[in-house]
Amino acid sequence: MYERVEEVRRRALQELQAASTAEEVEALRRRYLGRKGEVTALLRSVAGLAPSERAAAGSALNALRDELEDSIRTRLEALRARERDQRLRQEAVDVTLPGRRPPVGREHVLGRTIEEIRDIFRAMGFEVVDGPELETEEFNFRRLNIPDDHPARDAQDSFYLDDERLLRTQCTAVDVRVMRERTPPMRVVTVGRCYRRDVVDSTHMPVFHQVDGFMVGEGVRFSDLKGVLAEFARKLWGPEARVRFQPSYFPFTEPSAEIAVWFRGRWLEIGGCGMFHPRVLEMAGIDPERYTAFAFGCGVDRPAMVRYGVDDIRLFWENDVRFLSQF
Amino acid sequence: MRVPWSWIAELVEFPTPQDPAAWEERFPMLGLGVESVDRTGDDWVFELETTTNRPDWLGVVGVAREVAAACGGRLRLPAVELLESDPPAREVAWVEVLQPGLCHRYVGRVVVDVQVGPSPAWMVDRLERCGLRSVNNVVDVTNYVMLETGQPLHAFDLDRLAGGGVVVRRARAGERLVTLDGQERALPQGALVIADRERVVALGGILGGQDTEIRPQTRRVLLESAWFHPVAVRRTARALGIRTEGSTRHERGGDPERARSAAARAAQLVQQLAGGRVLRGELDVYPDPEPARQVTLRPQRLRHVLGVEIPEPEVEDVLRRLGFAPRGDGTRWVVAVPSHRRDVEREEDLIEEVARIWGYDRIPQTLPVDVMAAGAVSPDLVAERRVREALLRAGLTEVLTLTLLHPGELEAVGIPEGHPLRDAIPLRNPLTRDHTHLRTTLLPSLVEVLRTNRVRGNLDVHVFEIGRVFRNSSAGWEERKVVGIARIGRALEGGWNLPPEAVETSFYHLKGTVEAVLEALHVPGWDLRPEGQPWLHPYRAASLWLGTGPVGWVGELHPDVCERFDLHGRAYVAELELEPLARAARTTPQYRPLPRTPATERDLAVVVAEGVAAADVVRAIRKAAGPVLERCEPFDVYTGPQVPAGHRSLALRLVFRDPSRTLTSEEVDGILDHLRQRLREELGAQFR
Repeated sequence: MYERVEEVRRRALQELQAASTAEEVEALRRRYLGRKGEVTALLRSVAGLAPSERAAAGSALNALRDELEDSIRTRLEALRARERDQRLRQEAVDVTLPGRRPPVGREHVLGRTIEEIRDIFRAMGFEVVDGPELETEEFNFRRLNIPDDHPARDAQDSFYLDDERLLRTQCTAVDVRVMRERTPPMRVVTVGRCYRRDVVDSTHMPVFHQVDGFMVGEGVRFSDLKGVLAEFARKLWGPEARVRFQPSYFPFTEPSAEIAVWFRGRWLEIGGCGMFHPRVLEMAGIDPERYTAFAFGCGVDRPAMVRYGVDDIRLFWENDVRFLSQF
Repeated sequence: MRVPWSWIAELVEFPTPQDPAAWEERFPMLGLGVESVDRTGDDWVFELETTTNRPDWLGVVGVAREVAAACGGRLRLPAVELLESDPPAREVAWVEVLQPGLCHRYVGRVVVDVQVGPSPAWMVDRLERCGLRSVNNVVDVTNYVMLETGQPLHAFDLDRLAGGGVVVRRARAGERLVTLDGQERALPQGALVIADRERVVALGGILGGQDTEIRPQTRRVLLESAWFHPVAVRRTARALGIRTEGSTRHERGGDPERARSAAARAAQLVQQLAGGRVLRGELDVYPDPEPARQVTLRPQRLRHVLGVEIPEPEVEDVLRRLGFAPRGDGTRWVVAVPSHRRDVEREEDLIEEVARIWGYDRIPQTLPVDVMAAGAVSPDLVAERRVREALLRAGLTEVLTLTLLHPGELEAVGIPEGHPLRDAIPLRNPLTRDHTHLRTTLLPSLVEVLRTNRVRGNLDVHVFEIGRVFRNSSAGWEERKVVGIARIGRALEGGWNLPPEAVETSFYHLKGTVEAVLEALHVPGWDLRPEGQPWLHPYRAASLWLGTGPVGWVGELHPDVCERFDLHGRAYVAELELEPLARAARTTPQYRPLPRTPATERDLAVVVAEGVAAADVVRAIRKAAGPVLERCEPFDVYTGPQVPAGHRSLALRLVFRDPSRTLTSEEVDGILDHLRQRLREELGAQFR
């Protein structure tokens, strides 16, 4: 009997080792351990043995059955793991192929600058407003203390539509509209398009953007103007930004100043500012004895060129996606 | 204005030696911009940019006065000592002013027995440093005195003036003048001119005439030094397209006092350089002398406006150095304004003078102390920003395009003659031929963006612009904001191994973008209706309806337009009115409870005739199913052998849910039976 058990054991383990699929292993299980299996038949034959041999034969056969069951389970697991791995291997992807994606939306660099500027002034308590681009001489000039025949009104510089209407040449016209409609105190800023009859070249376009703001109150001082614009410069150009105020002349401010920012080793002129001329306040129905006001107007396009290292203003308007996607 | 430092140094007694190099930085802090600096030999020539309110800066004396005030020096004006001879000038020549409104003062000086010839080297050199060419000793003197004082002068050959004098009047119809530059000019009627008894001899304040110019044989000279009205000079100069050193100075406004002193100074120099005798007295027509101006300055107001405390002695000192004469106590000064500072009219002007000389850079930076409301953004801008963000999130790139166009661009994108969008508002004075009108739509600029990019090999372009358009309506000119969208090329990058229809932009990609924007804004009750536009593919176009009317259009760009713009592919475009969208947008959407009961899903395949739109089927289903139908989405459209000709099969996924209880399978089956019945009746639908 021993020889027989040993022979079955060797053969079964050998065949198990040779089995390469789960199905083959299952077939072996049936052949040896199934109801009609070889080991099952041997176990049944134990009853016909001499009583002295029964116990030994029984335990040898039980040990064989247990061993085969274990081996089969182990083998099955190994084979299943291998099969799963093979299946997954076939699903391998080339991770270096391009990803699938819809286009990425990007802000225009000027659009982004405009939003930044609006946020900076809003954080300083300014109300952000909008105004018309189609203006009248009344708001674009007269109420800004720019009388008829002032050089700034040269038809040479402005696009006219008829005798009275033109495309605004600065956003300060919006200040005038707001002041006329409200009562002090006010702290308002606007950013938008302005128009001048400039021939297109690398630094000029007939259409450009300007940020314009003002503040009216009982104690608004020139020093506040300096403080607010210095803060604006630091927010937009970085904490080290220095601002310079140089005397200048605008018909609608007195005193007037030109503003420059120190950036990458040189002074960059960004705009003009000053205290609103008392006549401008009077024309807006504000008592200049009681109230004082500061106002400023800064370019958006040319400072953005310097800030982003763009050397030709036409790139902003050409809209080449290779340019737009850089920001 | 070119100013040699050597000339300034002649006019200023400096308290300490000055380094001209340092003035490149100091001039701007006084309000004099430095355009460039020329070093010639041991001299520095500053090209100064002067503001229009300071006519005195168009003379070296004016600049020197500023330098002296800034560095605490003293101004030394050249002494004018005239040796006058008989007969009196008025017996030899005459001046008449018929237009005192246009010529407040006219001062004439007569010098006789002059020897016209070349100027001495120092004169030639100084003129050259200032950018002027030497002509002869008499003309050079007029230019020199103009550079020195800012007062333009003119010299006439008195013997060639018919009647021996000049009259200031307006030009009459048909009058002509050959000016110094040799050009014969027709004079605009009403222009300010100088004439003799017979004809016009000069354009007042702008340019002299050839007939009466100083020539080698000239013996008797009439010098003119006048105050002409800035606007009159400006209008005539512009009408004739002339700009001279003289007209530039007159346009900024002169100084009647200076007119007189400059005439004497010129007479002195003519005598010095060209010999001759200065006749006694001046021909001075000044019928209505301007009163001296006085302006009040309150130190307290100065402090209030500037936000800085400047000691009163310093304020007084600054004013005196600039030529002002303050009188009064510590609460109120009455300041006499010198005639060369006619730009100073009110208190604020004096405050600026003090701040300027004391130093803008010494004024501190403060933050406003007024208590005010927190910052805000006007509602229309809030909505605009939300639309912009929604478009960016939908994968579109923002572009900016010019507001000006040529009407041909509207035609080129397929807007037909007579269409309201062709009615563009024209500029009265366009600068270039391609920018003559205001745009009525963003379409031409956006199609141009597609073209620019496609031509350069950028094949995938997905852009939007929020911009203003200008329309000519019955109510007048309107300015409104619109959203323009243009897409072409692949809607999916990295679409290798995918069929083209999954990758290339289609009408449904554009529609999806518009839906995404509307959803982002929580715009309720919108509808896309099949409606064409002349510039769109006639069968791939729709209007966006909101409420009771259309607020925009979407569609495939007409193939003819694509071809005209070399797009080599199908382009998709849309334009939506921003304001109605912004008005309809819900800024504060309200919470709806999440469902707690399970949903039941069913698929339904409906076969309908080709002409029945998917929306018609969905609408009929919704109507028949009632509120328990939560969603109803087409997921497949099929035409083929299993569907009768002229029909298509629409597969829909229906999701049913009752928020209050769980629907049974039988209930849902019942609803579906009812649905099928209604679809058969209403749309002639069949079921597979």
